[in-house]
Amino acid sequence: MDTSLIGTINLTIHAFLVGSLLLGLHRKIMARIQGRPGPPIIQYLLHTLKFYVKEITFPITAGNPLYMFVALLDVAIWLSALIIAVDFKSSLLIIIGIYVLQKIVEHGCGLSSGSPYGKLGGVRSVFSAAAEVPLFAVVAAVYLTTHSVLISDVLKYQAVNGSLIFKMPICAFAFFILLVSKTPYSPFGIVKGKDIVSGYMTEHYGLLASIIYIAEAIAYFVLLWLFIAVFIGPSIINDPISTLIAMVIMTIILAFVSGLTPLLAPHHSVMLQMTIAGLVLCDVLYRLIVGG
Amino acid sequence: MIETISGFPFGIVPFGDIVFGFSEFSIIGFITAIIFTIIVYLTKPEKQLEAEKFRIEDKLEVVTLKELKIRRMMAIICGIATAGAMLTCDLFDFALFLTLVGIANIGIVSAVKKEWVLNASYQYGLIAMISTLPLFGSAGMILAKTGTLSLFELSKTQISLLFEKIIFAAGMAGETGIAPFYAAKAEMFRAPGSPYILMIHLSSLLLIVRTVEILLTI
Repeated sequence: MDTSLIGTINLTIHAFLVGSLLLGLHRKIMARIQGRPGPPIIQYLLHTLKFYVKEITFPITAGNPLYMFVALLDVAIWLSALIIAVDFKSSLLIIIGIYVLQKIVEHGCGLSSGSPYGKLGGVRSVFSAAAEVPLFAVVAAVYLTTHSVLISDVLKYQAVNGSLIFKMPICAFAFFILLVSKTPYSPFGIVKGKDIVSGYMTEHYGLLASIIYIAEAIAYFVLLWLFIAVFIGPSIINDPISTLIAMVIMTIILAFVSGLTPLLAPHHSVMLQMTIAGLVLCDVLYRLIVGG
Repeated sequence: MIETISGFPFGIVPFGDIVFGFSEFSIIGFITAIIFTIIVYLTKPEKQLEAEKFRIEDKLEVVTLKELKIRRMMAIICGIATAGAMLTCDLFDFALFLTLVGIANIGIVSAVKKEWVLNASYQYGLIAMISTLPLFGSAGMILAKTGTLSLFELSKTQISLLFEKIIFAAGMAGETGIAPFYAAKAEMFRAPGSPYILMIHLSSLLLIVRTVEILLTI
């Protein structure tokens, strides 16, 4: 991948467009599963552009500049994740640190608006921090197997030893559940549940909402890319067409999961995520004892 | 080994026994903590519109200036301690920063004059105090076993530190209030005053990532 400024801008636009279209595809497939025609695939992109030209509104209860800063932070963290992962193929720990900041964005969005719905979305985001535990465990397991957490080293390891998905099926499953958690309308999507309007995004409107939509499209692209890079390997990730096909297949699978499962209650969601975390921690302990 | 975990190392700044290390990971963590501390300093607390029981009207909850001052100060201390924890390359210093963040977290919500917030803060405080024992205990055991607390030296040692690492992770879990200790901390997040509450969350999450990095390194 080209690490020059033009290359980075290209990558950003590519990630935004692919992420937006995949999220649109996800919504379309979900609608078809549920017997509805659904919106066009470019709907997410249209939504983002529509909000981009609308005026910004500030609730009288909002705490500024945090109210604006969290939206900008959202796009900044996922742009950083994109560059660090795809361009530099650097440490998985940095990516996790960035993923962790996403929680801060969700919490900050909800809290800074002063809206009870946003606040509830933020508090649910804190509760669902259990979703991060499998992520840490996955990194630990990857380290124990490949002796590095640098994405470039993990790719080199897979080029010699084959895909990690066959060596670490439990970790791959845990990471897949993380992808499910991040997908819209997923059973774990309690932070944006319709019972609390739009959760943490309830009061963010206009340009700020558009910025958050851009960040979410890039986030979707980055997480899919990471899954393919860490668990499937260089045979797919080195070819842009194969990567795109793999992303479409994963989106179809995620759409089936979201379309066929109801939204879990917050405590059920956390309990299920903790169970998966326990499973991965057992896998890490096993790898520690047998040595990788 | 450090390069394969934290990314490219840029260098160290030694202050006698206290050594600060700069790597791709630590610099990003440090800058994030500092930016958030500045934003917390600049942000005015949000107001909460609460429904009144048995009345058809809402009540606007505001954070008073007196309460704001102490909470903002504690949030800034918390931010600086988090930034320090991102850079330090000494296990004892890291444990100290972790404990300081725990104290600052209690301080951020203790100025709120609401019974349920104070109860949650008290319960979290108990867990945080108990957690200092495994935290410093494991650091002590590592020192006794290896003769050093420097992360650079510990990364080279061949002695197995599995038991000490597990105890250190347990101490960190209690101090930062993650699962299974997060119930009291989640209650604290319901207190009004968004930027200060956010600092509690940010410090905990950054410290967890840093602890994972340290435990993988040593």
